[in-house]
Amino acid sequence: MRVLEQFRTLLSTRHEVARNWKSRNKPVVGWTCTYTPEEILHAADIMPVRILGSSGSTRLADAYCPDNMCSFCQSCFDTTLKGDYDYLDGYVASNSCDNRGKMYDLWKHHAKHSYIHLINTPHTNTERAHGFFYDELVRFKESLEKAFGTPISDQSLRKAIKVYNDNRTLLKKVYDLRREDPPLISGVEALQIVLSSMLTPKDEHSKLLSRLLREVPSRSNPPKSGVRLLVSGSVIDDAELLRIVEAVGGRVVADDLCTGSRYFWDLVDSDVESPLLAIARRYLDKVPCPFTYQSEDRFRHVMDMAKRYDVEGAIIFVLKFCDTHMFDAPLLKEELESSGLPVLYLEWEHAMTGIAQLRTRIEAFIEMIRGVR
Amino acid sequence: MRRLQTTRGFYRNYIKNSYEDAHRASKEGRPVAWVASTFPVEMLQAIDVVPVWPENYASVCAARQVSVRLCEAAEREGFSRDLCSYARCVLGSIFGEKDLPEGGMPKPDFLVASTGACDTHFKWFQVASRRLKRPLFLLDIPYDTAGSELEGHQVGHYVAQLEGLVSFLEEQTGRKFDMNRLKAVERLSDRTSKLWLEIQDCRKAIPTPMGARDAFSAVFFMLCVPGTEMAVEFYRRLRDELKERVGNKIGVIEDERYRLVWDNLPMWFNLRFFDYLNSLSAVVVAETFSHVWTGNLDISKPLESLARKYLPNFANAVAERRIDLLLRLAKDWSVDGVVLPTNWGCRMMSIGMTVIKEVVYEKLGVPSLIIDVDSSDWRNYNEAHVKTQVEAFIEILSKRD
Repeated sequence: MRVLEQFRTLLSTRHEVARNWKSRNKPVVGWTCTYTPEEILHAADIMPVRILGSSGSTRLADAYCPDNMCSFCQSCFDTTLKGDYDYLDGYVASNSCDNRGKMYDLWKHHAKHSYIHLINTPHTNTERAHGFFYDELVRFKESLEKAFGTPISDQSLRKAIKVYNDNRTLLKKVYDLRREDPPLISGVEALQIVLSSMLTPKDEHSKLLSRLLREVPSRSNPPKSGVRLLVSGSVIDDAELLRIVEAVGGRVVADDLCTGSRYFWDLVDSDVESPLLAIARRYLDKVPCPFTYQSEDRFRHVMDMAKRYDVEGAIIFVLKFCDTHMFDAPLLKEELESSGLPVLYLEWEHAMTGIAQLRTRIEAFIEMIRGVR
Repeated sequence: MRRLQTTRGFYRNYIKNSYEDAHRASKEGRPVAWVASTFPVEMLQAIDVVPVWPENYASVCAARQVSVRLCEAAEREGFSRDLCSYARCVLGSIFGEKDLPEGGMPKPDFLVASTGACDTHFKWFQVASRRLKRPLFLLDIPYDTAGSELEGHQVGHYVAQLEGLVSFLEEQTGRKFDMNRLKAVERLSDRTSKLWLEIQDCRKAIPTPMGARDAFSAVFFMLCVPGTEMAVEFYRRLRDELKERVGNKIGVIEDERYRLVWDNLPMWFNLRFFDYLNSLSAVVVAETFSHVWTGNLDISKPLESLARKYLPNFANAVAERRIDLLLRLAKDWSVDGVVLPTNWGCRMMSIGMTVIKEVVYEKLGVPSLIIDVDSSDWRNYNEAHVKTQVEAFIEILSKRD
């Protein structure tokens, strides 16, 4: 399908897409954590792009990064050192997890962006935390206004909220194409769609999503049926991992990933009078990342997804050295298994070393599920 | 090497005792809480809750050479071997292992943690709370960006949460929280901190009267029970002994040639490593770990001053906070070299060391050595390799004399 190809192209040409935006004399700012309120950047006519890693080794970053650091963060840093992100006008950091917090230090020291801002992100979502985060977002907004000279009005924030909410709603509709069996789009395709959403001007992306929703029911080459799986984890920024799952008889129909459902599942409440407060609440109340105290809310989300998408098993993909996921994983496994779902726990490296062994374990897991069908 | 009189029998007299006290309290039905580091323990002391520190317990298990067995117990429950060895060791101790040092930690009535040290601390407490079926109170600490922000909404956010903590403690204990009691505890805590800093100041002397081995024991009071008469009395004796040593020019070692700063944690399972350094004429004169827990308390603002004591913390901060502390220690303690140990299960202690090394050298011309170690899991420590690195580093220092 042509439109599906377009999402793939957006992904493979992501740096060109950003440079195109820049050629219209508009700034591009990079972000790393899904707790970064992109709406505020959008309201200042800045294109937010998520900083992702690239495949292969991280030779440049290795000089500064210890072996026991998150390999995704390392790859992001390496990609920057290589100069792939030279077009960025700024970088928005977060203290959300230890790896990311420390990445800020490396970034600040080695990547000389003229604008760099750390958003102090709470680990709870109490009313007090909302108030604190609101103050932080006011500071963020003011720092952008100062650095880029574009005032950010409530009106432009409201517009940005609408643009982002529309995209989220469409993504959710796309996800629902996976409720059928066989699903109308594969796990690899779904991942590419969400990833491209983080790297493309939102209006443009939403147009493509609408087209996809119109055309997909009549697609000529729908995915084949397979063992219906949910994947849970932190970042998966390269479809290769899911391609392996789907090549050995699995079909990824649902996820709990920060490059998947956790990115877009929740909307900003557009009825709240202060758009900035509405944004603050949305980010702290969204389906949480395990760096927060709200692990139980995430477990609930995973269980809901498992039911909604009628999955037969789950794979927990934890990036090595991602502490908060590693602490949550045994508890999540317990929850899923107690509802009768088989679970495979896998640790992986961003550079995909040891992939043959992973493939064997995934294959055996899928066989096992088939055997008990 | 000359050990101090005051710290002799420290483990038996103070640490072992603290566990016996906690077990007794638990048996008598007095409230016991597990506390995570950077939590304002003064709040618990003010309402007579007995604090037990899992972090301290992990170091005890490491020193007693049983931490790896406990780590393995946690790994069998699905907790990754790449997680913090403190966390694995403590979780292992609640998964039914037998023969625990000091009979294990008494089961808590509740747990308190803060996000102010690292993700690991509160996530591990969250797991423990779930497994032990005991409530957890979490302080959500803003990241220390080493700027002027501390003056504004960060302090307010902290204080508001302490007010929430007061209600939590009253609910858990059935007692009324007494601000005057808090002030009394804070007065002692403030005194403890000042004495501890005087002790650190004594170590500026050449030769230095106290090394890391004694410091890593004695810091127990500053870290775990700061607001007590016992802490004040002990530190007064320790300070007096150090002053006497300084007056008589008695050092830890006779041939003090290389003065070092040690960043963060030691290898608790191998405290003899500091004796090994001494054998190379090197002595640790300051540790960042000895400074991070200190802080003045202004009892006219009991809650706000806790915020100001605990918010600035290099573990929950941008690199500048740690660099500033290291620069100050390196300069004022007349240091020749900095040792930066990483820790396999700890991102905070491992990432960004190259930046610290570079800046410290740029600003002071003092070289640093990064060594890969682990606080409690000796499977992540290659002694032969580390010793080779240390000896090469000492050789570099010797050529700078």
